[in-house]
Amino acid sequence: MHIVVCIKQIIDPEIPPHVFQIDPIEKKQIRGRQVLVISTFDEVALEVALQMKEKEDGKVTVLTIGEAEAIEALHAALAMGADEAIHISDPAFEGADSFGTAHILAAALQKVGEFDAVLCGRQAGDVEMGLVGPFLAEKVGLPCVTLAANMEAGDGKTKLRRPIEGGYEVLETATPFLATMMNDESNVPRYVSVRGLRKAMRSEVPVWSAADLGLDPAKLGSETAQIEMEELFVPQRETRCEFIEGETGAEIGKQLALRLRELKLI
Amino acid sequence: MTKILAFCTASAEELPRAALEVLAAGRQLGDKLDGTLQAVLLGPNVEGQAERLVHHGADEVFVVSHPRLQVHEADVMVGAMEALVEELSPDVILFPHDELGGGNVAPRLAYRLNTGIITDCTGFEVQSDNIRWLRPVYGGKAMATMVANGPVQMATTRARAFEPLEADATRQGQVQTVEIDVDSISSSVSLVERTQEEMEGISVDQAQIIVCGGRGMEEEESFVALEKLAGVLGAAVAGSRPAADLGWVTHSQLIGQTGKIVAPNLYIAVGISGAPQHMAGAGASKTIVAINKDEDAPIFKLAHIGIVDEWQNVIEPFTDACKDLVSSSD
Repeated sequence: MHIVVCIKQIIDPEIPPHVFQIDPIEKKQIRGRQVLVISTFDEVALEVALQMKEKEDGKVTVLTIGEAEAIEALHAALAMGADEAIHISDPAFEGADSFGTAHILAAALQKVGEFDAVLCGRQAGDVEMGLVGPFLAEKVGLPCVTLAANMEAGDGKTKLRRPIEGGYEVLETATPFLATMMNDESNVPRYVSVRGLRKAMRSEVPVWSAADLGLDPAKLGSETAQIEMEELFVPQRETRCEFIEGETGAEIGKQLALRLRELKLI
Repeated sequence: MTKILAFCTASAEELPRAALEVLAAGRQLGDKLDGTLQAVLLGPNVEGQAERLVHHGADEVFVVSHPRLQVHEADVMVGAMEALVEELSPDVILFPHDELGGGNVAPRLAYRLNTGIITDCTGFEVQSDNIRWLRPVYGGKAMATMVANGPVQMATTRARAFEPLEADATRQGQVQTVEIDVDSISSSVSLVERTQEEMEGISVDQAQIIVCGGRGMEEEESFVALEKLAGVLGAAVAGSRPAADLGWVTHSQLIGQTGKIVAPNLYIAVGISGAPQHMAGAGASKTIVAINKDEDAPIFKLAHIGIVDEWQNVIEPFTDACKDLVSSSD
């Protein structure tokens, strides 16, 4: 089974708020000294693909669109166990929105050739639109299963398990298909060893440009965006915390209950 | 006149809160744009729910009742919506940002209509007939205003961001059935199994009070104390990411950027530091109570009521005091 995983490199989303900075003119986060990582749900998608490969003896190819430093995300993916990585990079891709990104990825999938599944994270860990996966499925004409957590191959069909309130459902799709993945207990991404990462850094990673993909640079990037960010800002919260104090825990606990009753919350 | 179309799904038994929320958003938008709020109602045997959409804000309701229009049949829903949009030619289409709507049908429909879509919105402004959508980005650390270009404006609304309107049985509106050839819509995904355990207690999605434990609970056994408290308050028990990753709560109880987004009346955070990823899921709660031994924990910047103490000292007397109050008011 050949699984293609689309990943995005983002600034570590788990940084504390006091080091989070934005550029309101460029309307994006300022990287500063923060590390770059594979976007949370994309890493989950890669974990699912790797588990599948271990069960079914398949192959995992990872794609990313990004500038020079995006190679680090591909090295991390190779170190996790991906077989091949492809770096899709061209100045013409700058400013592409979800439509543009899906357009570029569709061309890359065509160049990849044969595959059985395309996995994406349910949404990127930065702008969190959650559009690229479903757009790509529509563009390529693949069945689209969303918000799955793991998968199981059958003959010509694949079963995907999706968490729902209080349980799960299993959906069956024709192959090839596209699925967007979310986290659950079964797909916590594996750790990468320093040794593994060093080895991965010696791998050849091909770079595909707009020309390699047969894409017209005039129809890419911000020129064709259908979604525009007009303003980016950090909201000022002005919650004043009312502290409940007392000599003993028993007193504090009682005070809290009385205060909540006073506020008609309990 | 601007036509706003709200995507509502239901079953014969249930009209979900998500439908009422998207109607509330549509009503607000309709009033600002001086437009008409049209609701499409899709599902098996849903005719009986149509009047309720009028009571909750719709001017017109278009009912498509068909056994294939189930919540797991995203392909059928996309096909039906494509046909409905052709028939009704709306200017704006709103979906709830849930598994079916924002997660699947809305983006795919936007692609087919070749139009811009803004997902997971918590609000909007109208400026000279242009809608600027407000939505959280970067795990709630920042907010963005966005505009969608294209022939139709599409948006999905975050759960709990819009409060359903009180049902007004005197509201008047038109209800009509639409004939769509649902049988001929092809679907390449099918449901083979659904396992749903009887939920113990109240689910975090529906609870008005949530008691949430974090890493500071230190061990799984500590959640027994939270369950006791939840039992007294009629609350749901939840956990932060560390609590879920350590297996102290299930992933369906996980609150945060990688879990559920909730906005109960009362959110009691116990042993939770208040990382942005967590607050992305709980920050919209109406009242937040934080119990944490570290007075510098970021949660105290977001909480309305705070207690700096070991949770072990406070939870039991708090539970007992609540029990007294609750039983004396029965």
